[in-house]
Amino acid sequence: MPKPLTVALVAGAALLTRRALRRRVRSSPLWPLPALDPPVSGRPRERALRLLLTAHETIADGVVQLRLEGSGLPRWEPGAHLDLVLPSGLVRQYSLCGDPEDTSSYTVAARLVADGRGGSREVHEQLTEGMELEVRGPRNRFPLVAAPAYVFVAGGIGITPVLPMLRALPEGTEWRLLYGGRTRASMPFLEEVGKLAGDRLTVVAEDEDGRPDLAALFADTPEGTAVYCCGPEGLTAAVEEALPAGAALHLERFAPRTAAGPDTAFELELRRSGRTLTVPADSTVLAAVRRELPDTAYSCEQGFCGTCQQRVLDGEIDHRDELLTDAERRDSMLICVSRARSDRLVLDM
Amino acid sequence: MSHKQARPVESERVPLKARNVSFSWEGTPLHWVPGDPFTTHTINVLHLLLPAGERWFVHVYKQALPLIRDDRLREDVVGFIGQEAMHSQAHDEVLPHLREQGLDPTPYTAQVDWFFEKLLGDRTLPPGRARHWWLLERVALIAAIEHYTAFLGDWVLNAAELDRRGADPTMLDLLRWHGAEEVEHRSVAFDLYQHVDGGYRRRVRTWATAFSALVFLWQRGVRFFLENDPTLTGGKASFREFHVRGRQGTLPSTGDMLRSVPRYLSRSYHPSQECSTAQAVAYLAASPAATAAERRAA
Repeated sequence: MPKPLTVALVAGAALLTRRALRRRVRSSPLWPLPALDPPVSGRPRERALRLLLTAHETIADGVVQLRLEGSGLPRWEPGAHLDLVLPSGLVRQYSLCGDPEDTSSYTVAARLVADGRGGSREVHEQLTEGMELEVRGPRNRFPLVAAPAYVFVAGGIGITPVLPMLRALPEGTEWRLLYGGRTRASMPFLEEVGKLAGDRLTVVAEDEDGRPDLAALFADTPEGTAVYCCGPEGLTAAVEEALPAGAALHLERFAPRTAAGPDTAFELELRRSGRTLTVPADSTVLAAVRRELPDTAYSCEQGFCGTCQQRVLDGEIDHRDELLTDAERRDSMLICVSRARSDRLVLDM
Repeated sequence: MSHKQARPVESERVPLKARNVSFSWEGTPLHWVPGDPFTTHTINVLHLLLPAGERWFVHVYKQALPLIRDDRLREDVVGFIGQEAMHSQAHDEVLPHLREQGLDPTPYTAQVDWFFEKLLGDRTLPPGRARHWWLLERVALIAAIEHYTAFLGDWVLNAAELDRRGADPTMLDLLRWHGAEEVEHRSVAFDLYQHVDGGYRRRVRTWATAFSALVFLWQRGVRFFLENDPTLTGGKASFREFHVRGRQGTLPSTGDMLRSVPRYLSRSYHPSQECSTAQAVAYLAASPAATAAERRAA
C-alpha cells in the first residue's frame, strides 16, 4: 500500500505538470512537433484552371488570338506556355503573349495548320466566346536567361513567346530580332513588334524577300550572346547550323509534346549499377530497365502517378508525362512514358 | 498456441490500378457539410495527414519491393503504390483551396511533413540488420494504418447522412473515390507485412504506435482547424462533439471504432473479412472523378 503522502505528492505533481503543459500549448498551439523546412505538402505541382474564353479574334491571316479570363491566376515569366485542353480532349501547348503581371487573364495566339492533327482546326473553328476551357500551367521551358546580348529569331506564330521577352528586356540591353513569315499579312503582332524593336528588327516575308540571311544576322555577335529561336523545323535547323561559336542557343520547336516521328532506339546507361543497355524503339525505358533491374518501382505506366521518377545525369530528355514541374524536368524523368531526344541517356540508378 | 490463421477471402480480390483523377474545388464552400464546421474540419484533417502520409507509404513500399518473392503480391503492391500516390496528390490539391478561403494549413502540414519525412524517414542507418528492421517496422505500421483507412473508406461509402445534410458533391466524390480504393486494396498492406515478416508481436506493437499517433495527430488537426477558421469564434473541439456526431452518422461512431480494435489484433484477422469489394467497385464505376479518369485514359 502506498502511503497517503506519496499519493498526494504524485497527484499534486501530475496536476502541476498538466497545467504547465496546457499553458505551453496555449501559448503556441502547435507545440511540440517541429516542422519541415521548407514544407512539401500543399504546394501542388500544377493546377488545372477553368477559364472563360472572352475573346476569339483573327489578328492575322490564319491566326486567332484567344483571351481567357479567370481570377487570381498564377503569374508567369516570358517564354511560358499553357496547356489548353480542347473540348475534344486534345491537349495543345500555346505560348503566352500577354502581360505576365495580369492575374485576371491569359492571352495566347494560334495558327491554323491545315494539314495538322486537328488541334489548331478545333481552336479556330470550334471554340467560341463564352466557352469554358480547362488549362494547365503556365509552365516555362523557354526561359529568358541573363546574357550580355540577345538575338531573337521568330518564324510566324513563333513570335508569341518572344513578344513578352522583348517587353521584359531592360532598357539599354543589346538585342536584335529577325521575324520571318510567309507573307506580311500572315505575321501577327507586326505593328507592335515594329514599335518595340525599331531599327533592331529585320522582317523577312518569304514572298517578297526570300530566305532570311542568318549569316548577316549573326555577324559580330559578342561572346556569350543568347540566341532565342522559335519557329518551324526548317528555321530552327538553319539557326542551329548558322550559330556562331560562343553563342548559346535556346530553342522552342513547334513539334508537339509527343514527337510526330516514330520512336527511335537509344542507348541507356544505368550509372550506379554500371550497366548499359539499348532501349528499343517499341519499348519504354521502364520495360528496358526492368529487364535488368526487376525491382524498379513503377505503377500507373501512363505518366501520372510519379512512382517511376528517376534522376537523369546526362542526355536530353523527351518528357511525355503530365506530372513533373519544370524544376523537376531539368534533371529527372518518368521512365514509364518519357524517352530520350539524344542518342544516349544516363540515369542515376 | 492455437493454429488460428489469417484466411483471405479470395472473392474479395480485384486487380488494382491507379486512376488519373482530378477535382476542381472552385465551387466547394469552406464548410462543405452545411452548418457543421466540426464535422467538416474533422474530415478535413484527412487533407492535412494524407499528402505527406501517403507519399511516405509510396517511399517505404518502393524500398520493400525487392523483398517480395511472390509475383501476385508484387503486382498488388505495384497497383497499391500508384493508387496511394494519386490519393496523396488529390488531397494535396485541396490545401491551396483552403488557403484561398483564409484557412492556411501550412503550419500544421509542415509538421506532418516533418513527422513522415524525418521522424519516420529513412534515418541514417547502417545497411544490414538495422536498416532492414526499420523497414519492417514501417511496413508493419502501414499495415496497421491501412486497417483504419479501410475502416474509414467503408464508413464514408455508407455515410448516407452526409448526403442527407447536403454535403458538397465534389468533396464527397473525393472521399468516396479514395475510400473505395482503400477498400479495394485493403488487403495489400497486410499481405505484404505477412509476406516479409508477419510476426504477431510486431503487429501489436506497431498497431499501438499507429493508433496513438493517429489519435494524437487527428485531434490536434481538428483543434488547429477550429482555432484558425476565420469564420468561427471560439471554435472548440471535444470528444463529446465527436461522439454525438458519430451517433448522428456524420462521423464514424465511437462504438464501431472501438470494435475494430480487437478485430485487427485477432490472430485470425485478414482485411478481406471486412468491408465489401463489390460495393467499392460499384462506386468506382459510377464516381464522376473515376469515370472521367477512365475516359482520359481511353
